[in-house]
Amino acid sequence: MSTDSTRIDVAETEMTSREAKGKAPLLADPPGQVDRKSRGFMGLRRHAGRGGGYKRGIAIFDFVVRLCTLVAAIAATATMATTDETLPFFTQFFQFQASYDDLPAFQFFVVAMAIACVYLGLSIPLSIVSIIRPHAVAARMLLIFFDLGMVVLTTAAASSAAAIVYLAHVGNSNANWLSICQQFNNFCQRTSGAVVAAFLAMLGFMFLVVLSAVILKKP
Amino acid sequence: MKGAMELGAAAAVVKGGMNRGLAIFDFILRLVAIVATLASAIAMGTTDETLPFFTQFIQFRAEYEDFPTFTFFVVANSVVCVYLVLSLALSIFHIIRSHAHISRIILIFFDTAMLGLLTAAASAAAAIVYLAHKGNTRANWFAICQQFNSFCQRISGSLIGSFGGILILILLIFLSAVALSRR
Repeated sequence: MSTDSTRIDVAETEMTSREAKGKAPLLADPPGQVDRKSRGFMGLRRHAGRGGGYKRGIAIFDFVVRLCTLVAAIAATATMATTDETLPFFTQFFQFQASYDDLPAFQFFVVAMAIACVYLGLSIPLSIVSIIRPHAVAARMLLIFFDLGMVVLTTAAASSAAAIVYLAHVGNSNANWLSICQQFNNFCQRTSGAVVAAFLAMLGFMFLVVLSAVILKKP
Repeated sequence: MKGAMELGAAAAVVKGGMNRGLAIFDFILRLVAIVATLASAIAMGTTDETLPFFTQFIQFRAEYEDFPTFTFFVVANSVVCVYLVLSLALSIFHIIRSHAHISRIILIFFDTAMLGLLTAAASAAAAIVYLAHKGNTRANWFAICQQFNSFCQRISGSLIGSFGGILILILLIFLSAVALSRR
């Protein structure tokens, strides 16, 4: 009978001492944590199953509509601000010059559409932030609040100018207001075009409000 | 763990109560807007002033139908008033069931459309009222308010209810958006 002790060589493994004892590691990954290696483009994490996909799509569409509204608003402002027509004849008593300055409604139109242009320019970075983070509620709330204000401002400017343009085209016999478009053709055409562009900007803002409401909806 | 669950349940009850409060406030605002737009439509629609003298060639009578803009104003205010009455039903539905999301989005869509209509009517009428008060020398448009005092006062006053309705509609849309973003 040999009294030799037997040596059993156990290969060293890479386990920590805790794992060797069969216990869970101290810092476990919380459930649902995305593996750090799976970060996509620009470090965006994939929020699978939380509705981030369709919200980002709508936010991109919102950005595109915002750009189109900016184009319409700039067109309206520029067209109205550059209307100036002088008829080639003159008399001692009447002046035959018409510009947007002569009518306070058109002055209000230029100022209001300029404010809308500036607002759209400032809101484009906020819209881009909202694309990157579709679940940021504060940015969306800010956008929907100011978009509502801009709907009212744009509609007010466009429709008051439209009332004056209608009066310039048709006149009003009951108030003895003559239609001036028969003499000032170019002036009337340009103001009508500016009003149409402003109504397109108004439709754009309304669409933006509804899009923001859809994005705000909690799934 | 149990304490955390109870805290979450309490928070959910508070949020549900807040949503219901918002829905009740929405209902009350809608009632006020109905009164405002109805008053505007009636005030503009009952304008009729005849001056006590007349000649063979010129009429000295002014009513809202003489101006197509004012006709549009009366029609638009009536349409918005009827819409608000119909949307009261949806508002009551939101008081009862605070978690209805799709119907809130539909309500926001129609509220925005009505806001555009009301603002268009109110600001077009405001432009014509301003012209009636001040006139325009460059276009040879005479200020008619100097003769038709009562008519001018009625049309100016009827704008107030309409602009009040606009403010209320803005508040309604924003309240609906806030209620949407809370669970």
